[in-house]
Amino acid sequence: MDVGFWLFQTLNALQLSMLLFLLSVGLTVIFGLMHFVNLAHGSLYALGAYVAASTAGVVGYWGAFFLAPIAVAAIGFVLYALMIRRMRKSGPMAQVLVTFGLIFVLLDLTRIIWGDLALGIQLPPLLSGRISLGSLEYPIYRMFIIALGLAVFAALALVLGRTQIGAMIRAGVDNDAMAACLGINVEKLFFAVFCVGCALAGLAGVIAAPILSVTPDMGLQILIPTLIVIVIGGLGSLKGAFAGSLIYGFVQTFGAVLLPSFASVIVYALLAVVLVIRPTGLFPAKA
Amino acid sequence: MFRHTPFRIATLLALLVGMVIASFFAGYFGLEIMSEIIVLAILVLALDLVAGFGGMVSLCHGALLGFGAYAFAVFTALLGWDPSVAMIAAIAATGAVGWIIGALCSGSHGIYFIMVTLAFGQMAYSFVFGAAFLGGDDGMSGITRPDLSAIGVDLNDSRSFVLYALVCAVIAYLFAAQFLRSGLGRSLVGVQQSEQRVRALGLVPWRTKAHAFGVSGLIAGLAGVLAAQHIMYISPGLLSWTVSGEALVVVILGGLGTLVGPLVGAVAFVLIKHEVAAVTPYWHLVVGVILIAVVMSRANGIFGFVEVRLNRRRAAKVAATDVKTDAKLGKTEGQVRDA
Repeated sequence: MDVGFWLFQTLNALQLSMLLFLLSVGLTVIFGLMHFVNLAHGSLYALGAYVAASTAGVVGYWGAFFLAPIAVAAIGFVLYALMIRRMRKSGPMAQVLVTFGLIFVLLDLTRIIWGDLALGIQLPPLLSGRISLGSLEYPIYRMFIIALGLAVFAALALVLGRTQIGAMIRAGVDNDAMAACLGINVEKLFFAVFCVGCALAGLAGVIAAPILSVTPDMGLQILIPTLIVIVIGGLGSLKGAFAGSLIYGFVQTFGAVLLPSFASVIVYALLAVVLVIRPTGLFPAKA
Repeated sequence: MFRHTPFRIATLLALLVGMVIASFFAGYFGLEIMSEIIVLAILVLALDLVAGFGGMVSLCHGALLGFGAYAFAVFTALLGWDPSVAMIAAIAATGAVGWIIGALCSGSHGIYFIMVTLAFGQMAYSFVFGAAFLGGDDGMSGITRPDLSAIGVDLNDSRSFVLYALVCAVIAYLFAAQFLRSGLGRSLVGVQQSEQRVRALGLVPWRTKAHAFGVSGLIAGLAGVLAAQHIMYISPGLLSWTVSGEALVVVILGGLGTLVGPLVGAVAFVLIKHEVAAVTPYWHLVVGVILIAVVMSRANGIFGFVEVRLNRRRAAKVAATDVKTDAKLGKTEGQVRDA
């Protein structure tokens, strides 16, 4: 267990964290702003991966990289218009159930369209290969994921914290009725945020496609970790999503290496402890 | 509060008589489906108890069922206890686990409650999945059914097993109904409506919730024991969160907070699943569309929908007779005045 080992595992943990961050930030902001629980967020991520896998052959990786988030945002647009707008005022239970039904529907639709076999995606030459960090060789692509996650975090922190749009969104999270009284078109804002959240899920799908195999149940597999992240972090906050992703990524990665027999239980135990001690997570959006 | 309306009693009797009659005409495959229905019915009974009457939407009931099944398997296959003793012990253990989870989660509400129960469920799932002494991924076999030869019943016969499971389901239902009509059950409904008022009345909300979750755990444990006895082989898949999700779907399809509705939902769900699966492998799609339609229609499930319609019709009839009597009274008054 030398320095190289720790560095390697730290990078692995960061890479997992950043992937989860891309997914959870969309989900958490949608929840914070709209009080809407979208369990189908993982399915949108799977759709992003599928769109990427089937278009990468035609437009190349970078084409898919931009196309998939747009396609997923478009799917989000349709879902919003058909269902989610009507479910806004229902309780969390009805929302959980509708989106649970949506998981079923999207799961089988991907199976019908793309089949049950796992698909793969080719890396662009720019990102394939390894980079040497002292004694350690690390895949460039995984470094790219870490960098992308940090960049998205920085961009979102900037937009939410320093721009007028960000101030409007924060006002909406804090008190949507009051924000509406101040002349903010909260409904339009919600819709825009929802589409951005979906696009981020699509982006996570594209960048996960080359390292995980693209299968119909990939959305279900990522859903639980994503939910754990946002619940540990506190629903609705960017900081919470980031902190939650880091906690999950590090606990999961180092748990699997250092305590393999307890690895799977530790994360859930952590979640249970956090929720029992702080029932609204570490950094709740509202006090 | 829970009441037995004539419509509910009629539905229950229809279900019971239907099951008994079906068990005498069904073939082997039909009897297997009936056992599946009964196990699911008991599980959703447990879930409706906490979700429909206590507002505690739990995603760990699959894990509670799995816990009951594994406890039974450990007591019989590993420790060699007598199946009937093991059954009682497994149910009691699941009830205790349910009580603890209920007590720990009682501070959370809404979406957080859903998540924290999900966490406990997944914790149990991952533990069982990795535990070598429980067979891990491979599951456990060698589970025996109780020996009822003293009263002349051979439970290894599918038909006898269905009838035995049906008796268990009836007991579970009566137990749940009795619980809801007890003081504790009424305070549970009070907690759902307003914890503050319940506290002002001198009750302790977390204790009420924990007790209710414990009772629900007992029933879920029974479902687990029956599931283990039915298949005689168990795997970690029983504890998976999708089992809990499916149970929740059944409760919603049937009618949340009606106790009878989820039983109807269980029958409908298993039948739809098998009918659709026979036609297409994409049965999830059909169930998903039905679920979305039911939730978006704002009706309280199949049973709730019919019940509301019936109540409305009765209310209309009562109102109509009231108008008639009013008119008659008015007439007599008028005549009296004339005289």
